[in-house]
Amino acid sequence: MTKGVLLFCFDTPDFQYHKILEKCVALIKKNLKLEVTVATNFETYKHLKPLGFVNYKFIEPELGNKKNGLEWRNVDRHMAYELSPYDVTLVMDIDYFPFTDNLRQFLDTRYDFLISKNAHDLTNRNSFDTRKFSMIDMVWATVFVFKKGKKAKRVFDMIKYVKQYYTYFMDLYRVRDRRFRNDYAFAIALEQANGMITYDTLPITLPTLPPDCKVLKMDNEGIAWQYNDQVNYTKDQDVHVLNKEVANV
Amino acid sequence: MDIGELKKQSDISYDIAVAKRNALEKAHARLVVVYNEHIFRADAETINLVKTLSEAHTSPFYVLDTNNNPVEISKPEEFLKTLIERNQEAISSYHQMSKTFAKRGD
Repeated sequence: MTKGVLLFCFDTPDFQYHKILEKCVALIKKNLKLEVTVATNFETYKHLKPLGFVNYKFIEPELGNKKNGLEWRNVDRHMAYELSPYDVTLVMDIDYFPFTDNLRQFLDTRYDFLISKNAHDLTNRNSFDTRKFSMIDMVWATVFVFKKGKKAKRVFDMIKYVKQYYTYFMDLYRVRDRRFRNDYAFAIALEQANGMITYDTLPITLPTLPPDCKVLKMDNEGIAWQYNDQVNYTKDQDVHVLNKEVANV
Repeated sequence: MDIGELKKQSDISYDIAVAKRNALEKAHARLVVVYNEHIFRADAETINLVKTLSEAHTSPFYVLDTNNNPVEISKPEEFLKTLIERNQEAISSYHQMSKTFAKRGD
């Protein structure tokens, strides 16, 4: 059974995401020790430094989504099933930095689709309590695992359907955030595909640095950040960094 | 009372509280372990349950994973060893971190 990591990376006029990808791939190779496939476009690919053995799938990102007025190329996650060359795939945001091998073991379960519902705010402000922003629990499409088969295919087919009628589903579930977010598209699809009752989850809380944290330093063990006048750091702990300036650290 | 010193100590206490919370979260993340294709938390509850069942019940026995799905445990010693190793790896790392908090708070 083949296992590997699938990443999506597209530079935008405002951010050089390929620089974040370079950091992420290095950590995957060091800690997760899994084969990597990157879904990208040629414009992004030509800026990448050599990353060792990495598979590339060239696609043109769907445009039109915006975050804080800036282009946000996040809409293609629903294609993970078709793009992944692996039987079992770990899909990660490129700004999720695996400083541990914790995620590796989740490719060895019997579950067809696993995703986390929780994030931990590393600044201790509890800023990711998303329950009050919609009628359903949000999931974090930052990290998820799927095993190819009928069940996972049904989930992805449902994600595509939710994406197609996203405005309707946002109204149905009273999602406050009006942008297209994979987190809600996945949450709604999982709810629908599983009979509106429950579904299996990853029992992990994604350690996350909010966007107002400036990353001061990052090496292959951990990360230091500043929030207001407070400086803190963590090592040997996975970190999801929301401030895209991490590309330039 | 030196208010400047008190504010400084308050800042240090805040830093320690944040670092401690993050270290605890790191330990919790490390406690999650996959065994027999199912996911468990190598916490005190799971260890105690498996230890009790291995002593008071003939194998195989059955436990629930983190998604409340039943799992047959046919090798209790092996499972218990896995749980204890992971538990102590996570908690001993947290213990090391705690020592640094104590020093900073002195």
